[in-house]
Amino acid sequence: MFAVEAKNLKKTFKSKDGDVEAVKDVSFHVNEGEIFSILGPNGAGKSTTILMLTTLLRVTSGKGSILGLDVEKEDKKVREKIGIALQDTGLDNLLTGRELFFTTARLWGFTKQDAETRTSELLELVGLNEAADRRVKTYSGGMKRRLDLGLSLVHKPEVLFLDEPTTGLDPGSRRVLWDEIKRLREDGVTIILTTQYLEEADELADRISIIDNGLVVAEGTPDELKAQIGGDVITFIFNNYEDSKTAKDLILNSEIEGNELRVAVENGAEKIPDLLRKLSEKNLEVTSVSASKPSLDDVFLQVTGYRLEGASDQEVDSEKELSEYE
Amino acid sequence: MNNQSAPFFLQLGILTKRLLLRLARRPLAELPNVFISAFFLLIYDGALGGVFGGSASGTPFDFANGNFLNFILPVSIVSASVSGGASGIYLVEDIESGVFKRYQGMPISKWAIILAPIAVGAIRVLLQATLIMTLGNFIGADPATGNSGYFAVLAMAFFWGMGFAGYSVAAGVRSGSSQGAQAATFLFFPALFLAPTFTPRYALKGWLESAAAYNPTTYVLEGMRAIMIEGWVLDDILKGFLVAGGFAFITLTFAVFSARTATEKS
Repeated sequence: MFAVEAKNLKKTFKSKDGDVEAVKDVSFHVNEGEIFSILGPNGAGKSTTILMLTTLLRVTSGKGSILGLDVEKEDKKVREKIGIALQDTGLDNLLTGRELFFTTARLWGFTKQDAETRTSELLELVGLNEAADRRVKTYSGGMKRRLDLGLSLVHKPEVLFLDEPTTGLDPGSRRVLWDEIKRLREDGVTIILTTQYLEEADELADRISIIDNGLVVAEGTPDELKAQIGGDVITFIFNNYEDSKTAKDLILNSEIEGNELRVAVENGAEKIPDLLRKLSEKNLEVTSVSASKPSLDDVFLQVTGYRLEGASDQEVDSEKELSEYE
Repeated sequence: MNNQSAPFFLQLGILTKRLLLRLARRPLAELPNVFISAFFLLIYDGALGGVFGGSASGTPFDFANGNFLNFILPVSIVSASVSGGASGIYLVEDIESGVFKRYQGMPISKWAIILAPIAVGAIRVLLQATLIMTLGNFIGADPATGNSGYFAVLAMAFFWGMGFAGYSVAAGVRSGSSQGAQAATFLFFPALFLAPTFTPRYALKGWLESAAAYNPTTYVLEGMRAIMIEGWVLDDILKGFLVAGGFAFITLTFAVFSARTATEKS
């Protein structure tokens, strides 16, 4: 039995302008105790997939299950097994961190004494002991995310859904949250994490599913995905876009992004002189060249045809449009 | 793993307590509403008590049996009942902040989520009505039914306030905005003044008397006035309770149906 399974999940929103397919066909499975990352730009369908799996959104077609429980037919049981920290779930800013933990624990059915104990444990776990009796409105962004994470853990869920948990955080706060997520995996919690940060997926995930435009376009461990590219990635930087475009016609299987051209090859160091010769014959001026092992960025570029960094901003509008339907 | 959520009434109690805490933490937003009805009681009595109070004895204007406070106190209490309309705002705040969604992701009753702000609205009405009656008693109100009459008035105010709370929750859920929830208070003003607010029904001009006959507020005011001025006049008191209770029942049903739509998955 998988901790989480999505089989041909599809979500269509009705709108005045016609149907919008937010999720077209998403399938994956997550093993128990694994960190599984769903990677993709805004508007790719990551959050919609999470909302369906967490029972907060009806599935148009396909099937989702958590620990063998159907998310549509057994939604109450599913909610008992999972913890959720979504991008847009809120915190009561007028209450203190301690009050929020205590209230949540009581709602989960803890006795007063057990709720107090659990509150203390979680305040310690997410490092909010010192701020426990301050109102949440005084917390920093990072503290709020840690509090949010802690609240999703009150009932000790077996499966935890984190929807872009570090978006908007500074690098320091992001690192703190990553450490907490890793610690949860060590405790045996299965974690499904959506992110638009390649570095985050690379750092945390045991396996990654890349979603673009409502479809899974690649899946595997970070190493497997990078291995799909094979060999090395050579990066040429030109003076202008026209040169990089001309160079793309000369070098097979290359991808360009602005003035930059990238190509995956076996033995990059050996290939560089040949490629440079080819470019100089056409009077294309290369300002820099480098060879490196493939990164998730290269994987993303190969499977989607564009880079994740920068794509996010372009996709923000479509995400906003989608949220209106939701 | 703890996979047993709290029983329904405990959930309702916990969520109500949370909202009360919120209320207590922003006193500047709440206190003016609490005191405004008490303030108007003083103003009404100061402005009109001299004409329709003791000096009206033996004249056709002696509808307050010599104590205008007994006549006007129900107006302040009915005004205070509209503060139940804040319930919808509490709910909309939770929707807008995402707290509502957090609760939806937990195995807790959606009815507890909807009823908690209504309960807070009712508690708020009780507190305000109690404050007004205490002030009224202090400055000379004297119910014909004795002190037990205050409790009957309080009970009627509770139902009337629940009615406004239910309406504002329904309006808030349907509109998804604080403005929608506040619309509940706009409904109140014509309802208060198309009624025998400052004089008995028989003293109103023809068109207003006709309008007042169709206005539920009339029967709540008359029920409370019967308690304050005449004694246990069951006919008027029962009409008052029936109208207030009926209003609460209708708007709560409306709130529940509206909430069902809002909490259904899309």
